[in-house]
Amino acid sequence: MRRHRVAAMGLAGTLLAASVAIGGPTVAQSPSPTPAPTPQPGQTELNFTVFGDMGLDELVAQYQKDHPDIFINFIQAGYQEHHDQLLTQLATGDVPDIAAIEVGFMSKFKAQPENFKNLYDYGAKDIEGNYLPWRWEQAVSADGSSVIGIPTDVGGMALCYRTDLFKAAGLPTDPAAVSALWPTWDDFIKTGQAYVTGSGGKKFIDSAQGTIFNLVARQGNEEYYKTNDPLTTVYDTNPQVKLAWDLAVKASQAGISANIPQFAAPWNAAMSGDAFAALGCPAWMMGYIQSQAPSTAGNWNIAAIPGAAGNWGGTHLTIPAAAAHPKEAWDFINWALSPENQLEVFKLHGNFPSTPALYSTPDIQDFTNPFFSNAPVGKIYAASAEAVKPIFEGVNQREIDVAFGNGLGRIEDGKQTPDESWAQVMTEAQLATQQ
Amino acid sequence: MAVSGNATTDTGLREGWYSRFDRRLSPYLFILPFFIIFGVFGLATILYTGWVSLFAWNPIGKQQFIGLDNYFHLWVDPRFWTATYNTIAIWFLSTVPQLFLALGLAAVLNNALLRFKTGFRMMAIVPNVTSVVAVGIIFTSIFGRDYGLINWLLGGVGVPRIDWESGQLTSHLAIGTMVIWRWTGYWALIFLAAMQAIPKELFEVAAIDGATRLRQFRSVTIPQLRATIIFMVTISTIGGLQIFAEPLIWGGQLNAYSGGNSGQYLTLSIFLYAQGFQSFKFGYASSIAWVLFLIILVIALVNLLVTRRIASSD
Repeated sequence: MRRHRVAAMGLAGTLLAASVAIGGPTVAQSPSPTPAPTPQPGQTELNFTVFGDMGLDELVAQYQKDHPDIFINFIQAGYQEHHDQLLTQLATGDVPDIAAIEVGFMSKFKAQPENFKNLYDYGAKDIEGNYLPWRWEQAVSADGSSVIGIPTDVGGMALCYRTDLFKAAGLPTDPAAVSALWPTWDDFIKTGQAYVTGSGGKKFIDSAQGTIFNLVARQGNEEYYKTNDPLTTVYDTNPQVKLAWDLAVKASQAGISANIPQFAAPWNAAMSGDAFAALGCPAWMMGYIQSQAPSTAGNWNIAAIPGAAGNWGGTHLTIPAAAAHPKEAWDFINWALSPENQLEVFKLHGNFPSTPALYSTPDIQDFTNPFFSNAPVGKIYAASAEAVKPIFEGVNQREIDVAFGNGLGRIEDGKQTPDESWAQVMTEAQLATQQ
Repeated sequence: MAVSGNATTDTGLREGWYSRFDRRLSPYLFILPFFIIFGVFGLATILYTGWVSLFAWNPIGKQQFIGLDNYFHLWVDPRFWTATYNTIAIWFLSTVPQLFLALGLAAVLNNALLRFKTGFRMMAIVPNVTSVVAVGIIFTSIFGRDYGLINWLLGGVGVPRIDWESGQLTSHLAIGTMVIWRWTGYWALIFLAAMQAIPKELFEVAAIDGATRLRQFRSVTIPQLRATIIFMVTISTIGGLQIFAEPLIWGGQLNAYSGGNSGQYLTLSIFLYAQGFQSFKFGYASSIAWVLFLIILVIALVNLLVTRRIASSD
């Protein structure tokens, strides 16, 4: 009997508590200032997948505020994971409405353009003139009939260096003086050696692959593929690639490289320290440095790179063919990537616009970045973007890049001689491009 | 009394057809759920993978039948042999120490004099429930070349720092350490359960014959655990051959799918994944998957034969 009474009391208590909860709050709720985290009934839900930090958070929030009938599910993943997932999504048909594709992967996805909406059908022709032609071309299919993505930013290329470390090693710190130190890449390596001596053995650049090969290989007219010919590779014969390789080997043998692979945890940590003093800097690298090494604010500046202008990176926003709301997706892309909004992203995050009409405006020309000692970053990257000679990227671009990167890594680790390593790079690139 | 067509039960009553049908069929119905799920998610996918391996299969593009070409390419692909060697080497470096450590740990946990028995036994399983990715990140950091804990300790005693990621043996050791850390406790508990099932009389007899504790462990405990040890080796092998997350995180972002700049820690699973998702070659990836499946099948058969022989010899 006693057991039954306890049970009955417990049940009554539970029901009482539940009824109070279901009854609802008695205090009137004030409207929340930020958009609700889940879509409300009547809203169109757009799934927007990106990788890393593309600097679009503010635009996404702004768009939802301006369009209460749209809810954007903003999903960020790692660089590799995002593109792996996109492949799975395209294969299964369970696709997002808007997907970012980085230029390293664009050539692979673009080879099957039927997986994406042809943005010419949505009026892309009208805005084509706003963008750098070579950035636009990167998302155009082989036969030219469809464009699958709209460009976001443009990387450009400059050289970021640590003024405090340069000063301690007896090098000048003024950007003009620093740029004058290295009219050629050989001078760059010599400066590196002077830095190593002057700093008592500290290394100059992060890695030969990241800051030498990466930059030099893209300074010619072609890199791994014959221009506009996705089936013909030239990585084995292209003198620019060989030059890039030789310079990287020279830099490694000169002892100026810290041999820290990029985008790994030790590299992130090294930015705050003194493991290296200079690295290749596309516009988006500024934002990366600022987030990884906030303690070094004001100790960086930006100089020119030796030789011709270069470019690294860049992304497109695409609409997969099976997207649920392509029209709304297009409206967002059109708005977010318009010149005005690309300027906003530049001011907040440093990602440089791919819309050349802005380059001569005071907004760009007068823009300085205090983190980088008030360097005129607007002017620097505008000049860089305009001078770029575009490189045609083929289907196996990334695999060939990886083969070269591994080859230089083996040399830096002392595992192979440059000739042995080159031979292996050729074999691996060949394996990657067959079939 | 048995009459043709009508069975009789123990009590001598005649069994109806329904009851007989139920008795024959029920066992199969009880095991059916598992086999349905296995059939759909296991067998069907294995067979489909085999089918895909006969194609040049771009998951978002064209699919072209090429017969056994993928397997011929695999045979002459140096990356496949590197990956096979690495996978087996990492398996060996992780399974062998694990076996000894787990046996030792189980013996300690079995000790009657141990205080807080339950607490220690619970702690043994904790590494197993941690996230594989988190473990990978932490151990990669510990074995880091410039800022890692191990190199810092080595530097403290004057040993020059080791580039763990760059070398083949050093990478295998580091990845093996991650696996050992994760699974030793788990297997220790399994060995512990098996140890407690050993009849006490065997130990008493050995003690009377003058065997020391260590000798008892060697001559009584280990032989009695033979079946469990074989089970552990088999399961570790099947898992070890498929190792994926630890080497992937070890590689960081740039080297991840190459398994290092010389492929020094490229395992078969990573090779498979890279072919599928980096290169969009699902057909080639499927052929790697099938070769891996066949290797594991062979090992499982070997295990079956060995355990059968032990069982019959007991």
